[in-house]
Amino acid sequence: MNALTGTARSARLALRRERGIAPWWIILLVALALVMVSYINRNMSTPELMATYTTMINRNSFFRALGGGFVVPELGYMAAWRSGGFLYVLNGLAALMAVVRYTRADEESGRIELLRAGVLGRRAPLTAALLVAGGVGFAGGAATTIALIGIGLDPAGSIVYGAAITMAGWVFGAIAAVAAQLAQTARTARAIGLSVLGIAYILRYAGDASGQYWMKYISPIGWSHLVEPYWSDRWWLLAIPAAVTAALTAIAYRLAGRRDLGAGLIHERRGPATAPGLRGPISLSWRLHRGLLITWAAGIACFAAAAGGVSTLAYQFTEAPGVTVDNLLKAFGGSLGGGAVDFALWAIILIFAHVIALYPVLMVQRLRADEIAGRAEAVQATPMTRLRWAAGQLVVTGLGTAALLAVAGVVFGTFYAFLVGDPASDIARLLAGTLGTIPAAWLVGAVCMLAYGLVPRASVAIGWIIWIAVAVVGRAAGPLYGLWGGTPFEPFHYIPNTVAGAPFDPAPALTMVALSALLLGGGLLALRRRDFG
Amino acid sequence: MMTAPISVSGLVKTFGRTRALDGLDLTVDTGEVHGFLGPNGAGKSTTIRILLGLLCADAGTARLLGGDPWDDATRLHSRLAYVPGDVTLWPGLSGGEVIDLLLQSRGGADRARRQELIERFDLDPRVKARAYSKGNRQKVALIAALASDAELLILDEPTAGLDPLMEAVFRDVVRETRRRGDRTVLLSSHILTEVEELCDRVTIIRDGRTIDTGSLPDLRHLTRTSIQAELSASPGELSGATGELAELPGVHDLRTENGLVRFDVEADALGPALRCLASLGVRSLVSRPPTLEQVFLRHYDRAGAARAEAAR
Ligand SMILES: Nc1ncnc2c1ncn2[C@@H]1O[C@H](COP(=O)(O)OP(=O)(O)O)[C@@H](O)[C@H]1O
Ligand SMILES: [Mg+2]
Repeated sequence: MNALTGTARSARLALRRERGIAPWWIILLVALALVMVSYINRNMSTPELMATYTTMINRNSFFRALGGGFVVPELGYMAAWRSGGFLYVLNGLAALMAVVRYTRADEESGRIELLRAGVLGRRAPLTAALLVAGGVGFAGGAATTIALIGIGLDPAGSIVYGAAITMAGWVFGAIAAVAAQLAQTARTARAIGLSVLGIAYILRYAGDASGQYWMKYISPIGWSHLVEPYWSDRWWLLAIPAAVTAALTAIAYRLAGRRDLGAGLIHERRGPATAPGLRGPISLSWRLHRGLLITWAAGIACFAAAAGGVSTLAYQFTEAPGVTVDNLLKAFGGSLGGGAVDFALWAIILIFAHVIALYPVLMVQRLRADEIAGRAEAVQATPMTRLRWAAGQLVVTGLGTAALLAVAGVVFGTFYAFLVGDPASDIARLLAGTLGTIPAAWLVGAVCMLAYGLVPRASVAIGWIIWIAVAVVGRAAGPLYGLWGGTPFEPFHYIPNTVAGAPFDPAPALTMVALSALLLGGGLLALRRRDFG
Repeated sequence: MMTAPISVSGLVKTFGRTRALDGLDLTVDTGEVHGFLGPNGAGKSTTIRILLGLLCADAGTARLLGGDPWDDATRLHSRLAYVPGDVTLWPGLSGGEVIDLLLQSRGGADRARRQELIERFDLDPRVKARAYSKGNRQKVALIAALASDAELLILDEPTAGLDPLMEAVFRDVVRETRRRGDRTVLLSSHILTEVEELCDRVTIIRDGRTIDTGSLPDLRHLTRTSIQAELSASPGELSGATGELAELPGVHDLRTENGLVRFDVEADALGPALRCLASLGVRSLVSRPPTLEQVFLRHYDRAGAARAEAAR
């Protein structure tokens, strides 16, 4: 038996499991690529319109950084510029997750031990994982190429674009292969991979925003951007990720050949031996989920700071093509005296509010996850029965949601005030506007809690549907795309746009708080009355 | 008057089309270690979950520590400790944190006792739960339950996943508890020797119904002792002598080989059988008491026979 025996069998097994996962990634990639083409076709239908857009984008560093570099008025280039920022990251993410799934995660769960007791070489799982992930990465790129050629974009450019997408997948597959050998658990391996992905993205973004393009050359995501498909088509630049992929794969193989099954170079951190403060439902919920809140707060702060930088863009709204501004004006309410800048600020605040509304959704889903995993069972047998247990989580969730909105308001307000506005008045004004959305975010969570109490099995799906209905189809995305003008069930549009000078009215907030209390009470009551576990 | 810490009668619980409990009875008296025996899927965990107020019974009554397990859950739970059958823990918490969480939410804990148990069970409390084996997760829940001063311990197959060494520690700790006599233990298990060794009384269930309950001597009484004797009689005499033995009512499966006599005897017939053996001159005698396994199998045989009967 050599180190590769059983590779084919492992790969077949992995492929079978991948059947339920990979198609979704590929569909997502192709759909995003096509949507961006149709977006550009719709909004920049004439050369003049496209020229206006490109001038506006090239003048604003935030916009430039979003897609990378600069734009030129050419459909294929614009489409790849618009979608590439997502597709490179997504394909990298898909490959990264796949490699960890078939290496360290299987090793951790003991599946590999079971197989290795049969005939499975030491390097077989890694080889199988790389083959499968590499195949999935290639399929993502190739499917995008075919789809774009299919709708009539330049074939050569489409092939180069597909190759850039594929290489982004491969390089992160190789990064994950090394991470899976270093870490002792799948969780740590994923964390390493995702950190590299995050750093790569930030380097690329910062490079494009600041014009310091050397940062793109040290970023694996940047390499794909540098190819500039449909424009300069510098496909030979993909030699960089190819070489890096080869080198990392070699390193992963060396590590895999040397270590024991289940061992890793990075040891898991140990926890405290005692927890004198851990008593009662609120402290439990805080202990369990503070990591999530801190991660969210950090992410929101980063984006709020970036959004503060967009404030430079706010002035350009007056120069933006009419459709977008018209849509914004129609959609976001407020007094006309406020002016376009204030509408843009309110739009950004609403985007933050919609994103943060996901936090209570996730927190309620965690209750359900604890219930089905049986983690809550031992606690239920103490006086911390389910009412107190769930109520503790709700307290942390409610305060956490408010805290996240406060972070968004303070950071965004401060950056805007110092970069563009007036520190004396703008910080308070933007913070107040952001805090005003708290009741609507609570309401989203409260609906989820009611679903969790009443129909636990469907509650996770319901949570996602509610959030997507509110955030994606809701006020922020809908109006921009001219799709939709609000609905009575989308709570955020009831909140007066005080940022743009609408008078403050406590009635919507009070109504939403009362409604939330009602829904939460109903959810808790239903939870109390049903079987648990 | 002291009421029984646990008294359950006619309990019924269905999950969709599965009838997990079908008229189950169970009474546990104060201060005893009560074995709750049944094969996998018999309904032990379901009964316990009803007693903990996690599930609501469809019919029948259940009383726990003088209260209603569903309505008074929060109040009653400060007086009991529980080890689930399949212990899953929050992956990010260390063993020590979970132990403290469970002890403190029940109110107070004896730190010395906690430390002693951690040492006896040889648990590293600083390891995160995601790195624990099943046995170690079980230990975490056991330590939290055994370190508490709860008057009722409900243990659902607590030794599944423990290695033999730790199983011995567990038995020692339960025996100490039993000697103190002020705590009641409900020990669900499908491991017969464990129940035999630890329990005062036993309830045997199957398919959601109680099929037998009583003290171990009571249950043994209903089963047969295995006897193996070496007789001084010559091989010629042996066949005649054993014939007499085989005639005795209550003696079964008599075999002789190489001067050894083996047979099973019912408790009532033990006296006459021994007298008969003595008259034949015994050189050596080995008697094996009935194991609970036999008690168990006897019920299965009975149920099996009844089913075969019904099918015919
Ligand atoms: N939540 C549930 N949903 C559906 N069936 C269940 C559930 N819990 C238990 N059962 C079924 O009830 C029966 C009794 O299960 P259980 O009480 O866990 O048995 P034991 O603990 O004695 O092994 C089994 O047939 C099991 O499949
Ligand atoms: Mg069970």
